[in-house]
Parts: sequence; C-alpha cells; structure tokens
Amino acid sequence: MKLADWLLRRRREDDLEDEIRTHLAMAATESVKDGLDAESARLAALKDFGNVTLTREATRTAWGGTWRWVVADLGQDVSYAVRTLARSPGYTAIVIAVLALGIGANVSLFSVFKSLVLTPIHGVENSGRLAVLGARTTAGRLSALPHPDFREIRKDAHAFEGLAGTTDVFFTVGIGTASQRMYGELVTGNYFQVLGVRAQLGRTLLPSDDVTPGNHPVVVISEAVWKRIFGSDPQIIGRPLTLNGQSFTVVGVSEPGFQGSVVSQTVGIFVPVMMQPQTMPPDRLSSRQVPLLWGLGRLRSGTTIEQAAAQADGLSAQLATVRPDDPNEFRATVIPIWQSPYGAQTYILPLLMPLGAMSLLLLFIVCANIANLVLVRGLSRRGEIAARLALGASRSRILRLLLVENIVVAIPGTLAGLVMSHALSGLMRQSATADATMIFDLNTSPDGFVAGFALLLSFGCSMLFGFVPALQSTRLDLATVMKDDLSARSGSKGRLRAALVVSQVAVSLVLLVGAGLVIRTLESVQGANPGFDARNVVLMAVDLRAGGHDEVRGGLFCESLLAAVRAEPGVEAAALASRLPLRAVEGRRRQVSVDGYGLKRGDELRFSVDTITSDYFRTLRTDVLAGRDFEASDEQSGSPVVIVNETMARRFWNTPDNAVGRRVALDGTSKWRTVIGVVRDMKYTRLNEEPRSYIYAPHGQLYEPNLILHVRSREASPATIQQLRRRVEAVDANVPILNVRMLEDVVRQGSAVYRMTASVLGLFGGIALLLAALGMYGLVSYSASRSAHEIGIRIAVGANPSDVARRFLGDGLRLGIWGVACGLAISIIVTRLLTSLLYGVGPTDVVSFASALAVVLVIVLAASSIPAWRAARTDPIAALRHR
Amino acid sequence: MEQKPAHPRLDLLQGTLDLLILQTLQWGPQHGYAISQTIRARSADALQVETGSLYPALHRLQKQGWVKSEWRFSELNQRAKYYRLTPAGKKQLSRERDRWSQLVAAIGGVLSPAEE
Repeated sequence: MKLADWLLRRRREDDLEDEIRTHLAMAATESVKDGLDAESARLAALKDFGNVTLTREATRTAWGGTWRWVVADLGQDVSYAVRTLARSPGYTAIVIAVLALGIGANVSLFSVFKSLVLTPIHGVENSGRLAVLGARTTAGRLSALPHPDFREIRKDAHAFEGLAGTTDVFFTVGIGTASQRMYGELVTGNYFQVLGVRAQLGRTLLPSDDVTPGNHPVVVISEAVWKRIFGSDPQIIGRPLTLNGQSFTVVGVSEPGFQGSVVSQTVGIFVPVMMQPQTMPPDRLSSRQVPLLWGLGRLRSGTTIEQAAAQADGLSAQLATVRPDDPNEFRATVIPIWQSPYGAQTYILPLLMPLGAMSLLLLFIVCANIANLVLVRGLSRRGEIAARLALGASRSRILRLLLVENIVVAIPGTLAGLVMSHALSGLMRQSATADATMIFDLNTSPDGFVAGFALLLSFGCSMLFGFVPALQSTRLDLATVMKDDLSARSGSKGRLRAALVVSQVAVSLVLLVGAGLVIRTLESVQGANPGFDARNVVLMAVDLRAGGHDEVRGGLFCESLLAAVRAEPGVEAAALASRLPLRAVEGRRRQVSVDGYGLKRGDELRFSVDTITSDYFRTLRTDVLAGRDFEASDEQSGSPVVIVNETMARRFWNTPDNAVGRRVALDGTSKWRTVIGVVRDMKYTRLNEEPRSYIYAPHGQLYEPNLILHVRSREASPATIQQLRRRVEAVDANVPILNVRMLEDVVRQGSAVYRMTASVLGLFGGIALLLAALGMYGLVSYSASRSAHEIGIRIAVGANPSDVARRFLGDGLRLGIWGVACGLAISIIVTRLLTSLLYGVGPTDVVSFASALAVVLVIVLAASSIPAWRAARTDPIAALRHR
Repeated sequence: MEQKPAHPRLDLLQGTLDLLILQTLQWGPQHGYAISQTIRARSADALQVETGSLYPALHRLQKQGWVKSEWRFSELNQRAKYYRLTPAGKKQLSRERDRWSQLVAAIGGVLSPAEE
C-alpha cells in the first residue's frame, strides 16, 4: 500500500472515530436532559448505539478500494497470529517440526525427480524439454542408432530444430602412472550449438571438427577438468592431452556448470565422434550393425514427440528400402529425455515413484496430525473465539484469522523442511560417491522448481487441513461456551478427530508394510548367491593403451603381469577380465549369431561378451558346468573358442553338456567360435536382474585394452593390496593402476539402493507411527478429560476403576481396529507399486504384513491404555469440585 | 444475541434507508445523530435506524457524491460532522421518491383486489 493511501485511510479512521464519539456524546447529553446521571446516560447511549466495532467495519467497507484494506487487515492478522503463536511455543514448535518432516521428505524426493525430469542436464536451459532420437530394436529395447543411420535420419528430421549426436565413453587421460580414468562423450560437431553451451576459453567443437574420420584430434574440456588437471591454467588452449593413448589438442573449456549430456553423470571430456576409431577401436563409424549415437535436440515449436517419432520411424523405413541388401534391426524413434536410457533416469525413476508415493502418504499423516492439533487448539480457544463472535466479529473474519495462523506456522515449517531436504540430499550424494568413476551427480540443488513445490505443498497442507478444523472451531454455540460447559457434546468434532486418528493409523500401517517389504528384500538380496565368491578378491583396473601398448605388446604384458601376481605368496588365483560382475551399468552388447538357430520374429540376439584370461572362473569360484575353462594355450591358438553361461546354453542347446562343441559368431561376421565350456550364471549388472545369456572370449582372441585384474588371496589386507600394487608397477611402471577396490565392496554397493530405500521407508514408517500414537493418545486423553465429571460420579458411587479404564481403552482400540482394517486394504493395493523394487518377496508377503500389523497394534494399545489408566485413577472429589 | 425490542418496530426495507436519509437532509444539513433522531421522530418511533446501517449508508452516499460532509459546531456548541445534500443528491432524491411511489402503487395494486 502506498504511503498516501495509508495516510488517507488513517485520516478517515480518525474521522469516523470522532463521528461515533460525537454521536455517543449527543445521545448521552439527551439522556442527561431527561434526568439520568452521567454514567447511566453514557451506558444508555452505548446500548442504544449497538455494536461499535461492527459499525466501524461496515462503514469501512463503504469506502471501497476494499482489497487494499484487506491487505492491511491481513497484515494485522499476521502480526496477531505471530503474537498468539509465540504465546504457545510448544504447539508452534511441534507443528513446525512435524511439517518440516513431511515437507523435507517430499522436497528431497522431488529434488531428485526434478534433477531427472525437469532439469536433467546441468547448465542447459529448459533441458527437460529436450527430446532424444534413438532406436527401438525388434525386441522392443531402446538403443542408440548406428552412425550412418543417424547421419541419414538427421538430414531429414525436420521435427527437430537441431539434432546433435553423442555417446559416452571412458577415457584414460594422460600417460603412465599419472593417468586417470574420466568420463567423456564422443559428439557430433553441432553438439555445443544444439545445447546452447558456449566456451569460456578457446572455442567449442564445431561442425568443421566433424568431417573426416580420424582427422580431428581436438578436445573440449569442462571447467571441472580444467581445474583439476590443469589447475585452471589460462594458457591451456593448444596444449596436448593424451586420451586412451592418443594425443589430442585442447581447443576450449566449456562454460561453468556444464557437465555433459549423460543425465546424472559428470562428463568432462568432449571429443569429435570422428575420432571414434582411434579412441575406442574397432571402427564403428561405417557400421550399420553396431549402435553408436543417441540424438539429442529440441523439437520445433508445435511439434509433438509423437509426430517426431512418426517422422523418424518413416525415415528409417525409407532407409531400409534404399539399402535392402544392408538390413539392420534398428527402427528410429523419438522419446522425451526422461525416458531415455542414456543416463540414470530409467534406473532411478522406477525407484523414485514408490518412494514418492510413500512420502506423500507421510505428508498426509503430518497434515492429519496438524489438523488434529488445530482442532484441539480450537477447543481450548473456544472461549476466545466465542468472545470474538460475541463482540461482533464475523465468522469469515475469525476463519481468516485462524487460516492466517496456519500459514504463519507453515512458513517456518517449510523453511525447516527445505533445510532438512538439503541436508538429506547431501547425505545421498555422499553415499553415492564410493566409486569414483561412477559418481551419480544429481542436480538436486534447490531452485525455482523446488521452492515452488515446497510452497505449493505447505500452503496446500495448511489450507486443506487447517481449514476444516478452523471451520469447526468457529461453529460454536456461544451461550454454552460462555457458561464454560466443557461437557457439551460436540459430536461432529469428535467424529472428525476420530476419523483423523483412524486415517493416521491406517497410513502408518501402509508405510510399515512397505518398509517391511523392502527390509525383507534387503535380507534376500544380501543372502542372494551372485554366482561368485566375493570374499578376499582384490580388483585393480589397468589401461594398456595409457601404458603405450599395442595389441601384441599388450598381450605380452598381460602374460607377465599374471605370472608375477600368481607367484606372489598368498595369492590363490588371478585373472584379467574386461568387465566387473554386478557393475550396475549395462555395458555394450554385441550381435551374436548362433550356428543352426533360425531367427524368429521379435528375437534379438545381442548379448554381453566379456574378454577374460584363463583362471577367471577359478578366481571367482564360479562352477564350470560342462566342458573346460580357458587355458593359456587358447590365447594364441588359431581355433577361436568361447565359453557361454548356463542360461545361454539352455536357451539354444537345452543342456550345458549339449552346448559344448556348438558354434557362435560375433558382430555379424562369419568367424565361427566353438563353445568349449558352460559356466554357472552370475549376477552381471544387478542382484535382481532376469537371467540373461552371456559369452566369454579369451583375451588373446578378442583383445581389450581396458582390463580389471582380479586377484584371490588368502586374506585381502591393506598390506596385501600394497604388495600387489608394487608388483604390478614392477612389471611395467607405465601402465597406470586406475582404481583399486575389493569385490566385496562392489557387491555391497549392489545392495546399497535397497539399504537406502529400506532405511528411508523405515524412517517414514517410524515417524508415521509416532504421529499416529500421539494422535491416538491425544484423542483418548481428551475424551477422558471431557468425561472427568462423569467418571468422578461413577467412582464416587463405587464403580470399579478397571471398568472405567476398560471403557476408554475400548474407545481407543475400536479406532485402532478401524485404522488397521483400512490400512490393510490400502496396503494390498499400494504395495503393488513396490513390485519393481522387490526381490525375493511378493508384494503381499505375509511376514511383512504380520509384523507391521503387530507393531501397529502394540503401539495403538500403548497409546490408548496410558490415558485410559490415568482416567481410572481420577480423584472423584477433585473431578466433582470442578463444577 | 437477538433481543426483542420493547416496542414493535418496523424493519427498514432494503434500499429505503438511502431515501430516508436524503429526504431528511432536504430540510438542511444535519449530523448523524440528528438524522437518526429525525427519522425516529417523524415516523412516531416506528422506524429506528440502526447506527450500524446509518454510518455505512452516509459514507456510501458521500462516496457516490449525493451528500457532502464537513465538521461544524452545533447550536449547542458541540463539534459535529454535518451532512449536506448536493445538487446530484437532490436529483437522486426525486428519483428515489418516484421509485418509492411506484413501488407503493404497485404493492397497493397487488394488495387491493384481495380486500375487495
């Protein structure tokens, strides 16, 4: 409100005040003339005048410009509310704390949701609206597009304003022992332009870096890499940088904040895709069989995802007719970025949804609890409210006051919730950083979206759950309240409170059942057999390219490395492999042909193929079911061989024994490799994965420069690890050890997501139960105190105290049973949501249901028996004297 | 809080208060108390104007420009806020009177056949 308006209003107020005073004075003077004494005359005048406040308020509304006065009144209400709340700090603190819990939990989860769906790419505006061009395989799996297909489709994909291509890759940066492993992207020349990311130093990659294969050894680095590796050296442009053993020139540093387009990952190195054959051979640029690039871009305004997808599909159908002799199984499609498998969104979102649903349930309990408090407060404030109504305040005016009070507590509650969620997401970030090469970096920082969501939640809650009780509080029979008749039967209010308690019990049961299911899942995950023995296995990642080795020298290095390690005292077995078991990330799959197997419709023979050395299965203690393990002689042997897992053997040849001697080929070639052995399945990516076909090839026949040394020793102490490290360095000081871990830690990380979910749900359940217990306790003790008079009489005339206790206990238990019944019904529906999260238990697991039920019943019993017992001990004299 | 008045009193019809106030002011500027007393006296105590309606009505009339107000001393040397009819108020008064007579005639028309 402007100052002038405010002054005008003050003058009018004073004016009106004067006018009313004059009126009263005149009336009094008249009465004195009629023979009354001065005091009686004054009172008579006042009585005659009627309600001064009402007159004042009604006159004010005649002035018009109402909204301004409403704002001013609101200011008054707020300051009044602050004063009232400060007078009952206990109530205020509880409401703020409870609200902070509910809002904190929801905001944390929303922040994760936001980081995946609304702002998936750091440093890119409106990144949630980016669309992804990918392919759907004949089996319906989403995949990247082969490089030539991507280029062809991009030419005519007019649905996009611009379309960039990208694929993620691990780079070993630097040479020798100083090198380190970093996450990077191979991108098309227009990548930075399409995303709208500029260079803060030098230049970005340009379309001119995207012309001739192998001819553009340039790299753009992120601000983080610039800081970490080059100490923010301003002379960085033009300096050389070795990536996977190849020399590149740094041409630019990207804008601060940008960290690549792989959602939830920090990417710091950007290389033209034309350098793919040099950085990650073999050459895939011309292959129409091997998927390479994901397309990323904004749709033209007015174009929907469906239209773009239809266009892309049409274009790839056209490609098939243009080149019928070069068929492939990829049909292009367009999806919103949150559905893209390029990043962590498709892993995390399915986890997030049930957790989000649970946290909304928690918020519901929180609101029910606050509503209960508001109701109780309304009861204890009946005197005040009645006085206000009697003095002529309108109901809507009081309602507004009560609502403003709710909003006033909602604000600090929301702020506390935001602080809590910030701390929580910090915790989540910490727990996720165990593996330096796979940092989940979610952009959970609070921004407009998060703040808006928090505000929406808190105001929604305080309005919705504050309004009904406030409405109840103003519906008073003035006469009874003024007479302090506390035993007045306000039935509807009691019913509302009872309903709130029932719903709290119900929801806390649902949350506890959820927590129970996840805890049981955690148990079975930890007890699950991953198909290998993780104890006492040390892992060391090495990159032969960074050591300057080509295929021949690399092979020799591997032989001497294994010989040296195996000679180490305490080492039982050692082997090299290209991938870890239980690695969480889905690696690339290769196209596989099975000799004598005719492809059926919807079949997709793309399996993971690991490169391993001999002794791999002995090191991991994985059973060989048929045939034999690789031997040193297979490495250099002219006859190509493979080992397959049990699932693959049973799928194509019915039994493991029958598989030995059969043949498969890789990558669409006709180089047949003979199956010499069948091994037991392992858990390759996740503990709860479906059984999948898997192939192993010997390192000498399928060269891979990026290897992980697996060493089984009698005991894996830090001293042993140190000893091993020295041993590897002694073989070739130039080959860097990039990452040292224990296999057990990898396995533990595999169950981390269950541990986190179980603890979050357990926490939710605990809080919910506590709140429900408080609600139940409050209700029973309230109804006992309301009937104190009656109890006093009963006890005075000789009623048995245990009968009295039983009556109130019965009240509480009845509500408890209702709550439990509703909770069970809801649980059966809601736990279906958790199915994607569960492993080894069904969504209607009896143990989880029974234990949650038992816990809730015990708490209900405790929460209602304490006040019931106290009621039975009522001193009849004191209770009766109160009247 | 409803109290039964000591003597039968007629409730004012919606909108008639403005007419009564304007009519009262026709005889010269008056303050709020005098207006309520005048209406009461002229209706032989049958019409009693609630102050809770009187002051909002006066302020509303002023906002519409039909009356003007100023602080003056009364004949008893008391400072009071006097309301005065403006020319626009006079026109409004005649309009309201016309409407009132039409209303009375109409209601009379409705009521009289039943009496015959």
